Amino acid sequence: MRRTLAVFAKEIRDALRDRRTALMVLVASVVTGPLTLVLVAQFVSGLEERASTLRVRLAGATHAPALVNFLKRADVEIEQAPADYAARVKAGTLDAVIVVPPDFHERWLAHEETRVELVFDDSRTESSPAIRQSERLLDAFNRETAQLRLMARGVSPSVNEVVKVERVNAATPRQRGAVLLFLIPMFAILAPLLGGMTLAIDATAGERERGSLEPLLANPVPTAAFAVGKWLAAWTSAVAVTAVTLAGFVAAAALYAEKKLPALLQFGLPEYARFVAIAVPLAAFTSAAQMLISTYGRTYREAQTYVSYLATVVSFVPLAVMFSGAREAPWQAAVPVLGQLMALQRVLRGDSLPAWDVLVPAAVSAALAIAAVAAVARLLRDERIVFGRS
Amino acid sequence: MIAVEGLAKRFGAVEAVRGVSFTAPDGKVTGLLGPNGAGKTTTLRMVSTLLAPSAGAVRVDGIDAAGDPLAVRARIGALSDARGLYARLTARENIAYFGELRGIARRSVDESIARLASLLELEPLLDRRTEGFSQGERMKVAIARALVHDPPNVILDEPTNGLDVMTTRSLREAVRRLRQDGKCVLFSSHVMQEVAALCDEIVIVSQGEVAARGTPEAIRAAAGCEDLEEAFVRLTGHGAGEG
Repeated sequence: MRRTLAVFAKEIRDALRDRRTALMVLVASVVTGPLTLVLVAQFVSGLEERASTLRVRLAGATHAPALVNFLKRADVEIEQAPADYAARVKAGTLDAVIVVPPDFHERWLAHEETRVELVFDDSRTESSPAIRQSERLLDAFNRETAQLRLMARGVSPSVNEVVKVERVNAATPRQRGAVLLFLIPMFAILAPLLGGMTLAIDATAGERERGSLEPLLANPVPTAAFAVGKWLAAWTSAVAVTAVTLAGFVAAAALYAEKKLPALLQFGLPEYARFVAIAVPLAAFTSAAQMLISTYGRTYREAQTYVSYLATVVSFVPLAVMFSGAREAPWQAAVPVLGQLMALQRVLRGDSLPAWDVLVPAAVSAALAIAAVAAVARLLRDERIVFGRS
Repeated sequence: MIAVEGLAKRFGAVEAVRGVSFTAPDGKVTGLLGPNGAGKTTTLRMVSTLLAPSAGAVRVDGIDAAGDPLAVRARIGALSDARGLYARLTARENIAYFGELRGIARRSVDESIARLASLLELEPLLDRRTEGFSQGERMKVAIARALVHDPPNVILDEPTNGLDVMTTRSLREAVRRLRQDGKCVLFSSHVMQEVAALCDEIVIVSQGEVAARGTPEAIRAAAGCEDLEEAFVRLTGHGAGEG
C-alpha cells in the first residue's frame, strides 16, 4: 500500500513537472466549455434571425385583444411593428407584419366578418419562414375562435374539423438544444481520455523507452503495486481534466443565463455533480485501458498511436447513437461509454435518473478497470514485454 | 554472496546462456568478462531475478532466486543494462523514489543519499533535474539509486561504458570502497584493463559458456601466457572477431 502510494506520488509529481503538456491540457479543457457554448449560442441565434422562433410583428395590437391573448397563450413573442412597416417590408428589413384594423375588436365581438392584413414580400426566400409562421398562427386563431363559437351553440367542434391536423413545430427551442444534448456528454466522455492519456503512456511505454523500467522492476515490489499506483495517477489526472472541462460548461452556461440559452440548457451545479459522478468511474476504465494498450508500445510514439485508436472507438459511440437514433434500452447501461452517454443525456434532458442508471455503468467500468490493471501487472512480469521483442 | 549453478537461458531458438556456474564471494570483486553478446547481461538479469532461467539456479546469500525473488531483490543492488532516470525529477528525487519503493524510512533515505553522494562525488548534482546530465553524471545517479538500500550484493553491468577517464577512475575507487565494506561485487565488462585493474576473481564468458575462471594469475597460467589480454583472446577462441 505504501509502495503503491509512492508510485502514485512519483507519477503525479513527474506529470506536474511536465509544464508544457500539463498547461496545454489544462488550457484546452478550461476553454472547451465556454468555446462550445459560444459556438452553439451563435448557431441558435442565427436560427432566430431567420425568424424560426415563435415571434410575430403586429401593427395595431391594441385593436385585437383577443388575438393578442391567443398569441400570448401560445407563448409567442409579440413585437410592435414600426409605423413605416410597409416600407421596411419592401426594403427587406422586416419579414412579415400582421396589420389589425381599428374596428377589429367590435366586429369580432359581434361575430361579424373580421379581417387582418398580412403584409409581406415573398420575393425574398429568407422571409418565408416568418410568413408561414404568421399564417399558421392566424389559422390557429381562426380555428380556435370557430370552435369556441360552435361549442357555445351546442355543436361539437369536430363537425367543423373532420380531419384534425396537429402541427408539431420541429424548431422549438428544446429540440434545438439537442445539439447540446449531444455535445456536452461527448466532452464528458472524451475529457477522461484526454486527461489520462499522457500519464498512462508515460508511465508504461515512456518508462520502457527511457530505460527506467528495468531498474524499476528490480525493486522488491510486486508488479501489482506499480500497476495500481500508475493507474491511480492516470485516473486522477483524467478526473481532474474532466472536472475542469465540465466546470467550463457550468461557468459558460451561467454567463448565458441572461440570454436565450437557459431554455435550451440547464447545466448548473446539480447537473455538474451528476456528470462528474458518471464520468469518474468511466475515467477509471479509460485510463486503465489506455495503460494496458500503452504497455504494448515499445516507444511513447507507438503507444500514442495505439491509444488514439481507443479514442477513435470511444468517440464513435456518441456518433453512432446520434446517427442510428438508437432508443434507450436497459442493456445499454452495461455497455461501457454507451451506458454513460445515455445517463448523461437523461441528466441534460432533465429526466429522472434512477440510481440504477449510474450504478450499472459504474460497476461495469470498475470491473473492466480492475481487469485491465491486473493485465498490466501480469504484462510487467512478462520478459518479452519488459525487455522488448527486438 | 552470489552462487550461480548451471544457469541457462533460451530465447526461442537462441541459446543466450548455456550452463554458466560461478560464485561471487563477499568482500571480493568478481568480474564477468566477455565479448559483446557473450551472455553477460542475460546472466546478470537472471541473477537480479528479472529473467527466469530456462535451467539452473541462482542463490543470493543462500536464498533461492526462483523461490523468493522479492527477498533476493531486497539483498541486491543492481545497475542494469537499462539505467534510465526520470528527467523531470532531481537526482535526489530519483534516488529517494527507489528508497521509498524499498520501504526505507524517509530519514534513512536521506542519510543514505548523503553517504552515496560523498562516495560517488554527487553532491553538486543532487538538487538538479537530471535532464541535461552528462553520461557520467547519469551513471553516478543510477549507481546511487541502485545502492540506496545499502545492499550486501552489488551487481554492475558494464558500469564504465561510455565514461571518460576521470569518471572511470572515481568509479573504480567507489567499487574498491564497496569491497572494503565487505560487499559482494559482481561486475561485468568487455574491457580487459577494467577487469584487470579491479577484480579479485574473473569469470570469462564466451558464447554463453564459462571459458575460464579464477584469479587473474590463475587465468594467465591456464592460458599459458603472461599478458592477460592475450589470455582472454586465446580462451574465448575469438581471435580478432569481436563486436
